[in-house]
Amino acid sequence: MSGEADRPLVVEGLTKEFGNVVANDAVSFAVNEGEVFGFLGPNGAGKSTTIRLLLGLLKPTSGTATVLGADVRDEAALTEAKRRIGYLPAHLGFAEEATGEAVLEYHGAVKGDSRRAELLELFTPPVDRPIREYSTGNKRMLGLVQAFMHDPDLVIMDEPTSGLDPLKQEAFNEFVRDERDRGTTVFFSSHVLSEVRRVCDRVGILRGGSVVELENVEALLHRGGKHVRVHASDAAIATITDLDGVVDPDRFAEGVQFIYAGGVNALLRELAAHDVRDVEVGEPPIEDVFAHYYGGEGTPDGSSPTEEAWDGSGGATGESDGAEATSENDGTGATNV
Amino acid sequence: MFETARNEGRRRLRGAAILTAGVGAYVGFIVWYFTVLEGVDYEDVFEDLPPAMLDAFGIENLSTIEGFLGAQVFNFVWLLGLGLYFAYVAGGVIARDVETERMDLLLSFPVTRSRLLVEKFAALLVPMIAVNAGGGLLVYLFVIAVGERIAVDHLLLAHLLSVPFLLVCAGIGLVFSVAVDRAAIAERAAVGTVFVLYLVESVVGGAEGYDWIQYLSPTQYYEPTPVLIDGSFEPIDSIILLVAFAGLLIASQALFQRRDI
Repeated sequence: MSGEADRPLVVEGLTKEFGNVVANDAVSFAVNEGEVFGFLGPNGAGKSTTIRLLLGLLKPTSGTATVLGADVRDEAALTEAKRRIGYLPAHLGFAEEATGEAVLEYHGAVKGDSRRAELLELFTPPVDRPIREYSTGNKRMLGLVQAFMHDPDLVIMDEPTSGLDPLKQEAFNEFVRDERDRGTTVFFSSHVLSEVRRVCDRVGILRGGSVVELENVEALLHRGGKHVRVHASDAAIATITDLDGVVDPDRFAEGVQFIYAGGVNALLRELAAHDVRDVEVGEPPIEDVFAHYYGGEGTPDGSSPTEEAWDGSGGATGESDGAEATSENDGTGATNV
Repeated sequence: MFETARNEGRRRLRGAAILTAGVGAYVGFIVWYFTVLEGVDYEDVFEDLPPAMLDAFGIENLSTIEGFLGAQVFNFVWLLGLGLYFAYVAGGVIARDVETERMDLLLSFPVTRSRLLVEKFAALLVPMIAVNAGGGLLVYLFVIAVGERIAVDHLLLAHLLSVPFLLVCAGIGLVFSVAVDRAAIAERAAVGTVFVLYLVESVVGGAEGYDWIQYLSPTQYYEPTPVLIDGSFEPIDSIILLVAFAGLLIASQALFQRRDI
């Protein structure tokens, strides 16, 4: 069996130009049934454009995609397929004066709401209040409820966890894993590496309008690296930055910040040996990660990225340690020590 | 079926009630004012006005309640005020949802674009029917209350014939609404267009050689004063309005179908 036709999401050479700007440049990838696929890329990479093309909001300049077997250029087929699609846009433009209840009532009347009550136990937007009083997180939760309440086979989400507090984010991750186990295919975009790491089975990386790399999360996980910011004396900083695995040290008035690709234990031992006033260890900005792994300027050569990009021996030795540290810290932003 | 029309219609109830109340208050004032003016020979007051202006304001037979209402209520409120109002409101129908990105959610529904457009537009019938039914009833009650009489069938006809006209004004707004991304711009453009058409029709009416221009304006095809006075109207006018409305709706559909959101 070809497999292609059966896959819930197949994107083939999808291109979208806005005037002279190429937002999506021959994007191709496919999502398998029952997997969680992360669509990763820095802001402005064209993730939302791809998603809007998939939903028929934008018309492709060339290339196409099929969503649950429906060609996105065929409105009738796509409309029919939307019965089985859930969508969570990046920005939730609910009618401001309506209550959450009224919004769900309307969405339910159009597409069904068999799982509404169950979802409202998990995500808890204040449904009796008007949307204009909602915080970003509350809107996001209402958005999640409407995206899943008709029990869709495929859910497409654009930056689903932005605005959710860490607890709700964790609940969301668990929820997505459960949904996958029930057989739902989930496709979501993110610019947060840790989020994708924790819930996705596979990842597509979009940069400069094209998919640079499709890989398992495992592989991505081995390319960790931490963003470290240390406040300490000049002498201490000098020895700390000499540590193997320190990349791009950048001095500021009271200290230094750098990307650290070595073992976390080695870093902690080194830090403990000095009088450190403050330290933050967090996830590196995704742009930095991409710049290191996939080359600069958004013109990937398409070849498999190598550890050499890190330009240090620390990368190899620190690989496994780094990965463990990632899961321990769970990367919800910076961790103050 | 029609969930969107129902939902959007419900969202328009409040506005429709306020609009009807406002128009009702104005009607009440005008009817009261008619009783104050009784006995004044105001035909004389207006006889110095140029005929073009009399025509523009639909002034004829001001001494009868029908003529007075035709000029002061129907020509000002229905022809100009409500024409502009529906152009304005229709200007926001699509553009506002695109601007607030609510359209992303609506288009994720298993509903085609053309259907969504028609259902959202259909919700404008709520204020359109409310202001005609409510406003018409209030006109009648106020007139009775001051001891005057008005022919019910003529009054009904004046309201009924306003619907194709208001649909065309709303249709102009709808075209701008699908063509433009920002609600404020679509609304202003729609109001401006209807207002300019109204002015043009008023001004060129008497200009020989250029009087064909007046036929471009929807206001040309709805004349409430004669309807109120003796029930006379041209059925072809309403047909022209309905055809124009169909054209505007089809144009909106084509634009909406093609555009990126």
